[in-house]
Amino acid sequence: MSAALHARGVAVELAGKRVLDDVSFAVERGEFACLCGPNGGGKTTFLKAALGLVPLAAGEIEVLGARPGAAGSAVGYVPQAKSFNPAFPARVVDVIVANRRGSWPVRTTSADRDAARAALARVGGEGLLDAAVRGLSGGELQRAYLARALVNDPALLLLDEPTAGVDARGRAEFLDLLAGVAARGDLAAVLVTHNAAAVRRLARRVVYLDGRVRAWGGPAEVLDREWDRAAFSGHDHEAPSSPLCEDE
Amino acid sequence: MGDFVDALLSPLAQGFVRRALGAGLALGAAAALLGVFIVQRGLGLLSDGLAHATFGGLALGLLLGATVDRAIVVALPFTVAIALGIQYVRRRTTLGGDVATGVFFAVSFAGGILFLGLRPASAPPVNVEGLLFGSLLAVSPESLRVILAVAALVVVVLVWIGPRLAYATFDPELAALSGVPVAALEYLLLALTALVVVVGVKTVGVVLVSAFVVIPAATASLLGRRLGTIALLAVATSVFGTAFGLFASYHLNVATGATIILTLGAMFFLALVFRRR
Repeated sequence: MSAALHARGVAVELAGKRVLDDVSFAVERGEFACLCGPNGGGKTTFLKAALGLVPLAAGEIEVLGARPGAAGSAVGYVPQAKSFNPAFPARVVDVIVANRRGSWPVRTTSADRDAARAALARVGGEGLLDAAVRGLSGGELQRAYLARALVNDPALLLLDEPTAGVDARGRAEFLDLLAGVAARGDLAAVLVTHNAAAVRRLARRVVYLDGRVRAWGGPAEVLDREWDRAAFSGHDHEAPSSPLCEDE
Repeated sequence: MGDFVDALLSPLAQGFVRRALGAGLALGAAAALLGVFIVQRGLGLLSDGLAHATFGGLALGLLLGATVDRAIVVALPFTVAIALGIQYVRRRTTLGGDVATGVFFAVSFAGGILFLGLRPASAPPVNVEGLLFGSLLAVSPESLRVILAVAALVVVVLVWIGPRLAYATFDPELAALSGVPVAALEYLLLALTALVVVVGVKTVGVVLVSAFVVIPAATASLLGRRLGTIALLAVATSVFGTAFGLFASYHLNVATGATIILTLGAMFFLALVFRRR
């Protein structure tokens, strides 16, 4: 069986600038991996390339054995910045069902609502079903978007800094949720994070990305090596004073 | 009571009033449905810009030798091209939709003035005011058929693409990940808007066609909590405003287009007072 995600010699250029170069690594099925690295290191760009939202300049990415963007509902995605239109009259159930149907639900059936309710129950958000999206707190929004990503029972979950902008309590709760998700053996996940506690708790493998793959291995090995170098020597990074992986 | 209703509806005995009502209702309903997506996307100025661009297209048609009635053959592709140009600038640059609309609107309107000035002195005179403001009460049977066909086309296409277009309106990135052809749907939305605007400008004028697109959808957005409800409210607002404005203008002997817009405006301000919070 193919890997959940397999990158070979991937290069990506944005506005004429190469932001990823010769990136190669694999995440096996059922494996929880973290993408760590400095701001501007290409973590979000890599996820978008894996989703088919950004074209590759070179190399290839296989996602569940398919090209980027072709795995459909087998890939769940929780974006970094919630770029939704706040003027749009959206409820949480609509957002979840839209991912299930591939179109906006002008009317929701009882089956739709049951599926959305079940997805929300997995993230402790049962009470959010009919809530307006624009009125949600940061933590509630994360739960809603995680439920949205899980509603199709994906084989691969891509999470782009899902706790950015969430308070400490919300981050801890979301970490618990992810730990529960990671415990499901058949689900692979790639989490982009600056949170060292999340990496240590969740990741079986860590990819340290700074335009290229600087390190790839177990959490202790990669964090100890790259974290120290980034935090204290800084010569490889644009912003050495900004911690790459923040301990709680 | 019966006499009052009979008196109220007496204008319908005249063919030109029936045609005006049919054209206004059909155009208003189609424009209101389009407006739901236009307003949710914050593109309220788009219809106004396209309406003014249509002037440029009509003027180009006149310059090329078409009659006022036939100039729409040139105005339609001209305005659709302007709409697609606006969308291209929105997608390919960091400029917002209002900026792109402002640029294309000014250039095509100025072009229209230039085209009219370049016509030979022997060309028949053109009533510019008529081009800009149209006349709902002067809708010919042929124009009514065109309006009904365009309105039906717009409604059918919107019912077909609506759920996917709505997803793209909520979040284009997530919609794209779900397989929605976001860019194609956005171009289609603007092309449909251009179609309605061109037909509308020719019959009801620049100002009324913009009002048809924006005001009912804005009113409904203040009142509805779900997209389907907002769409129905927008159509209902447009239908009531058009019918009320038309009959009121007839009995009061005042300008029809202006009365319809003022009726729609009054409904908007009522909705503003009683809006959901």
